[in-house]
Amino acid sequence: MDISQFFTSADLFGIAPEIILTVTALSVLTLEMLHVSRPGIILMVAALGLFLAGALAINTSGDEQILFGGMLVLNRFSVFFDFLYITIGLLTLIFSQGYLEKRGSASRGEYPALILFAIIGMMLMTRANDLVIVFLGLELLSLSLYILVGFLRHDQLSNESGLKYLLLGAFATGFFLFGAALTYGAAGTTNYNGIVTAITNNTILSDTYLFLGIGLLLIGFAFKVALVPFHMWSPDVYQGAPTTVTGFLCTAPKAAGFGALIILFNRAFVDIHYQWQDIFWILSAMTMTIGNISALIQHNVKRMLAFSSVSHAGFLIMGILVLNETSISAVLFYLVVYSVVNLGAFAIVSAAEQEERGLNLKDYRGLAAQHPWLSAAMTIFMLSLAGFPPTAGFVAKFGLFSAAVSQGYIGLVIIAVLNTLISIYYYLRLVVNMYMQKEESTLILSYKMLAIVFVGLIAIMMIILGITPGYLLEIVTEAASTVA
Amino acid sequence: MAENYLPILVIFVLAAGFAFVSLIITHLVGPRVTNAVKMMPYESGVDQVGKTRIRFSIRFFLIALLFIIFDIEIVFLYPWAVVFKDFLSAGSFIFFEMVVFLAILAFGFIYVWRNGALEWE
Amino acid sequence: MDLLGFIIILVKVLVVFAATMITVMGMIYAERRVSAFMQGRLGPNRVGPKGLLQPIADGIKFFMKEDLIPSGADKPIFILAPAILLIPALMTFAVIPFGSSITIFGREIALQVADVNVGILYILALTSIGVYGIVLAGWSSNSKYSLLGGLRSSAQLISYELAMGLAVVSIILLAGSLRLNDIIADQQGYFLSWNVFKQPLAFIIFLVAVYAETNRLPFDLTEAEQELVGGYHTEYSSLKFAMFFLAEYANMITAAALTVTLFFGGWDVPLLDESSLGLLGAILSVLSFILKMAFFLFLFIWVRWTFPRFRYDQLMRLGWKVLLPLALVNIFLTGGYLTLTAMK
Repeated sequence: MDISQFFTSADLFGIAPEIILTVTALSVLTLEMLHVSRPGIILMVAALGLFLAGALAINTSGDEQILFGGMLVLNRFSVFFDFLYITIGLLTLIFSQGYLEKRGSASRGEYPALILFAIIGMMLMTRANDLVIVFLGLELLSLSLYILVGFLRHDQLSNESGLKYLLLGAFATGFFLFGAALTYGAAGTTNYNGIVTAITNNTILSDTYLFLGIGLLLIGFAFKVALVPFHMWSPDVYQGAPTTVTGFLCTAPKAAGFGALIILFNRAFVDIHYQWQDIFWILSAMTMTIGNISALIQHNVKRMLAFSSVSHAGFLIMGILVLNETSISAVLFYLVVYSVVNLGAFAIVSAAEQEERGLNLKDYRGLAAQHPWLSAAMTIFMLSLAGFPPTAGFVAKFGLFSAAVSQGYIGLVIIAVLNTLISIYYYLRLVVNMYMQKEESTLILSYKMLAIVFVGLIAIMMIILGITPGYLLEIVTEAASTVA
Repeated sequence: MAENYLPILVIFVLAAGFAFVSLIITHLVGPRVTNAVKMMPYESGVDQVGKTRIRFSIRFFLIALLFIIFDIEIVFLYPWAVVFKDFLSAGSFIFFEMVVFLAILAFGFIYVWRNGALEWE
Repeated sequence: MDLLGFIIILVKVLVVFAATMITVMGMIYAERRVSAFMQGRLGPNRVGPKGLLQPIADGIKFFMKEDLIPSGADKPIFILAPAILLIPALMTFAVIPFGSSITIFGREIALQVADVNVGILYILALTSIGVYGIVLAGWSSNSKYSLLGGLRSSAQLISYELAMGLAVVSIILLAGSLRLNDIIADQQGYFLSWNVFKQPLAFIIFLVAVYAETNRLPFDLTEAEQELVGGYHTEYSSLKFAMFFLAEYANMITAAALTVTLFFGGWDVPLLDESSLGLLGAILSVLSFILKMAFFLFLFIWVRWTFPRFRYDQLMRLGWKVLLPLALVNIFLTGGYLTLTAMK
């Protein structure tokens, strides 16, 4: 019996970041188990694990590697996403500490552990070269998120949103699995390369099955990244979840979902992608329009940001509609900017949040007078989300729109531009509330120094990226070139 | 292969037949005198207090969840145990592979233990 | 498959089935007599010589009793539950080899109803179906005693199923097969080749788990007359009640047979090559199997009057905090030992 036919040591080195993260998560749970009294230690161990995983991920970058007999593919693209997840995870951990203490569950070591598990799942999703692995990653991610969303055990809203997310998420998983099963039935394999070969050699058993399979897979993804009409869960879940978890929830899983979607359609279904362009067009237009219009009428800030994240998913789908090197690199750039900005915005929201109560727009009145720097940062985030120059959000939107225009999707781009104009209203409403209204009651902000430093860094970075985006553009172009 | 299961089918028919014949006989034979009090569920001779569909301890759910985890572990262990000796010729890899698997599960077990999920007080 | 083959199968099935039934009756008689002797009483001695016909009298009495279905019970489930418990209990014995093999009409006949290659899995799978019977019986009766009994019982059964399943893994490691014949073949030969000497820890875990799985004292928490009246079968009467008892005793017989098969060489007679002795060897092997099994059946009764009942928290602690870790350690040690000896 020869073991090497199953896997070699190269495979193990390839998944070293995942292994490190698993070990870290288990150590964090051990610390929790031993009742280590200082929560800072647990967070530090988790952060250390993330750093180490990042270092190992950079070590494996370089040429494309195929691991575990074609189950995983390592390339610049996956390494780019690894870094994105690790960054999001680190920022979430930094922003979470003060918030969790405020909500009275700081000592729970499960929190960082679950975030680490979610990151492992997302890494698997963007490294996957097989539908089974995507499913594995998706489940690891989803299961962690279900618990994280309901993490405040004594908070009714948190519990409710956790249950809602679990029920709808399980439903979506069912769609995904049926899709994978039908695709397997049609192509005879779940491996991406095998599917491509089956499609090009025309050995597909039944085109109907393949069509249904792809459709169901798409529905599964649409649930996870909250595309209209599968976005119904997102406002309630985003509002009920602990605010720092909401920040994590609307960034990292979205990045993972789009990353996996790009790989899926760019590798497995590359030859039949053109059949799906109409559907992507409709999804994109519906998602951005309905997301934006719903965001317009929200008073709760978390709900407003939730709908805004739905509309951003609509913009991102444009990149998958076009699906060439330019558009993929634009999607990657957009994901980075969108994720970091959202995390920063949610960090400020979580700092401003009072006991047991989400904040409405008018609660922010007069914030600028008390906390000028935080308000300035929030303004930069809002401008960036709206896509104003000279922020990074402008560069991101510009990249996506120009990629779409160059392929002739002028109609969709007009809709997108109109949507951007609508979105300015509700983004600026928050800014107007902060700067131009008289305060009604004083907000007492609670935050850790470290978190505020990072919020400031993000704000400065958004301006710098808006003026000289060259460095990040280089990275995303290189990452995109390995898959396109 | 499937031939080996023919006796099992035969014994299933026999056992099921025996069980259902018993159920039918008990329905037909024997006296039948009913009244409302006699048909009441037994509760130490007094009228039933409250409904039967009571809430019961969450621990039963915990046990059920833990059972599924460890039962799946056993599901993985059986095929491993069957091929263990064949794989030993290729070195000790098969042993250490399962050690890693068991270590992660053992960690989960200790975690559950430490967090009091196994206490019945 | 020719006609003769099918007839042989039919005969074997009928013989095993009848033997199970007779052993159940014998067990019921023995249970009462042995209990009585252990307590310095006489026990049933009026019906037939030495009271030997007592089980038959009991059986007839069950027929004549009124069949009650309490009001508010979930009728279809209430009626089906005893069958769900009894059918698997009667089927499990099918894969256990109770003797070597005999040659009649020029063909070799294995003394075993069905020789399947996943024998252990078959037994574990069927015994776990029994849990459904118990929990459904408890739930459908519309009685609090039944519900609590059923819940406790299902939690107990699934907890000890883990320890039992893990204890068996180390036996499979030694035999390299799930077939019960292979496991017996692995224990052939000299006395000390029995698994009970190679795997004492697994044997102890398995034996304890078997007592919990068959709901016998000291683990008969499901019935616990003093607190739960009768547990999950409080509301059952007549033949349905008898079916629960039949299933329990059938399970005991299978459990005893499985213990013998896994740990005491099955039908193996120590220091003897049964196959060279022809028909005599076969008869000896069956006798050896019956003797060993009888000992374990007696042990069931012996233990019943020796140990007091566990408390429920003690039961769960023993299952989860003692047996389960011990079984895991045992697998680790067995695997490690095999690896070390293979490397030399």
